Amino acid sequence: MVQSIILSGVAVGCVYALIAIAYNVMFSASRVFSFTAGTLGMLGGVLGSLFILRMGLPVSVGFVLALAGGAVFGIITEIVAVRPVLKSLDQHLYVLSTLALALMVQQFTAIEWSTEPQPFPRLFDIARIDFDQQFWLPMLACAVSIVGLELLYRHTLIGYAFLAISEDNYAARALGLPERGLRMASFAIAGAIGALAGFAGGEMLLAFFANAPMLTFYGFVPVALGGMGNNRGAVVAGLLLGLFQQAANFLVGGIFASVAVFTVFIVVLLARPDGLAGASLRRRV
Amino acid sequence: MSITRRQALASGAAVLATTIAKPAIAAKDPIQVGYLPALTGPSSSTGVGINRGIQLAVQEINAAGGIDGRQLELITRDTQSDPTKAVNGAAELTRGQKVSCVFGPVNSGESLAVVPLLARTNTPQIHPCWVDTLTDPKKFPACFRNAPTNQQIGGAANRYVTEVLKRKKVAVVSDTTGYGTASVNAYVPMLKEKGAEVVYQGNIDAANPDLKPELLRMQNAGAEAIMPWSVNAGFLSRIINTRGQMGWDVPIVGQTTLGSGQTAALLEKQDFWAKVYPNNFRPVCFTPDGKMTDRTSAFVDRLKSAKIEMGDTLLWWIALGYDSPLMIAEAMKSVGTEPDKIVGYLNQLKSFPGVYGDISFTPDRHDGYPDEQVVMVEANSLKNGAFKLAPGYSA
Repeated sequence: MVQSIILSGVAVGCVYALIAIAYNVMFSASRVFSFTAGTLGMLGGVLGSLFILRMGLPVSVGFVLALAGGAVFGIITEIVAVRPVLKSLDQHLYVLSTLALALMVQQFTAIEWSTEPQPFPRLFDIARIDFDQQFWLPMLACAVSIVGLELLYRHTLIGYAFLAISEDNYAARALGLPERGLRMASFAIAGAIGALAGFAGGEMLLAFFANAPMLTFYGFVPVALGGMGNNRGAVVAGLLLGLFQQAANFLVGGIFASVAVFTVFIVVLLARPDGLAGASLRRRV
Repeated sequence: MSITRRQALASGAAVLATTIAKPAIAAKDPIQVGYLPALTGPSSSTGVGINRGIQLAVQEINAAGGIDGRQLELITRDTQSDPTKAVNGAAELTRGQKVSCVFGPVNSGESLAVVPLLARTNTPQIHPCWVDTLTDPKKFPACFRNAPTNQQIGGAANRYVTEVLKRKKVAVVSDTTGYGTASVNAYVPMLKEKGAEVVYQGNIDAANPDLKPELLRMQNAGAEAIMPWSVNAGFLSRIINTRGQMGWDVPIVGQTTLGSGQTAALLEKQDFWAKVYPNNFRPVCFTPDGKMTDRTSAFVDRLKSAKIEMGDTLLWWIALGYDSPLMIAEAMKSVGTEPDKIVGYLNQLKSFPGVYGDISFTPDRHDGYPDEQVVMVEANSLKNGAFKLAPGYSA
């Protein structure tokens, strides 16, 4: 039983962590919390099921197309819901614009796909064991994403450019960096990561339109706990969230599990407002 | 110009003749019946199935000459699975269209909003929704239910577990919706009254991707049957899949969604669907030897000849839809279209022979479906929208 709680807790935690990373990548590039992150996860599952099960495409092609779909939605988010409100960031209009876009896509999926959860294909035709692919796939996806992002940010020129606009947008532009292009690229990367979360966790979460709000909420918790923009913090907080949620599901039951999760969330934020791994921003006054 | 007595009499006779002619013309106008199905939206699968039966019945009534020469006209307002739109539709039907009677809504959430509204206008209403409080002869004297209540649904499942399967230790679970938690709260005491021991009781988050810990706890508690109450196909399929993965040979008995195509589509193996027994209704089921009653067989033949699809829906939905306009037509043929007279007729209705079930009402009981026709079926026997009776029922 403990093994089951740990396996599913870590696996779900990895999905939450990936959604949190998608939040962070978008936040770093634009200082905007895009509430389309959960929708990206939902789209990963739905597109994967659409391409592989309904259209009968090979798993590898379905995987690439699902991630490409997420990337395209990321770019659309930047153009439609983020760029128009960047000038008035202090009014937090992005909350409304990104939530509205997320809701539109969610409802469209419900109408065109299904209001019922649909099956997600088994990606590898291997026998089911305790440490099944539905558990290790999200873990692998999370590990690959975090290593990939570290390599990108620390060892490539374009990665430095991402960091530059994240650190100081105005200075980066003054140096001639293509800020808009980099921002769109960040949203595309975030889109692909979000879709990867839904695709890797597809067998657990199924291809279901209502996964969007669930992932939007639970994906935001590691962002807040791990420190905004801090991917390592998001992964640690995501894993803890998954484990805590599964343990709470088991110990106190479904109705109170969410209450337990958000109680801990509030208590942690009261104790450490910048998150477990976050550092407070100094502002000159 | 002066008018002679003869002219006055002649014009008086002409006026009288015109006035008398009016009801004769009105009598040929169609009789309007309000209809509030959810044809679109998240809860539309029921409404779409019911609609197939309703349309066939209205066609047959009108082809046979209608009601005393008047055609039956359905005034349809799609509720879009939304209680607000259902209320708007009901208000328009009663105030704008002035319908004689309303069938629907067909989902409980919408009916909870519509029933009190129709009660205020004293419009006769027939609906098939299960929530217990949706009929009350004192509060809603013109509202009748031609389907079972939740109590009857739970009662049939409980009887099957305790009396037919002879299981004494039961796990009762649900999702965290209002329907789920209310069902567990209602059915657990009923089970205990029947002498069963509820060894595990819980409300599980339907989004929880791994139910193995829950099922292990049920197993450790000694459960001999699992009774899940939910309309969420994802949640129910996870319970069935987990039971299969664990190799736990325990029956799952409960809500009709256990037997739905959506649940089946989410199963890892079709073998896992064995020993799963959802609710259903005896008149529209196959007996253990694979037959149906004569009444139902004749109905299925009519559906086939009318080229009505049965494979993607459930037979009981179509049958329920088919019976409803026929019941309304019978009432109108007998007593006319006045609301009070229709209510008076329905209050005395005895064993209306529907395909879905024999419906009876009394002035004190507006729940018309008989207890004994609520049964359990084998989920994996689904064929053309109908199921085989679960083991233990006599033919």
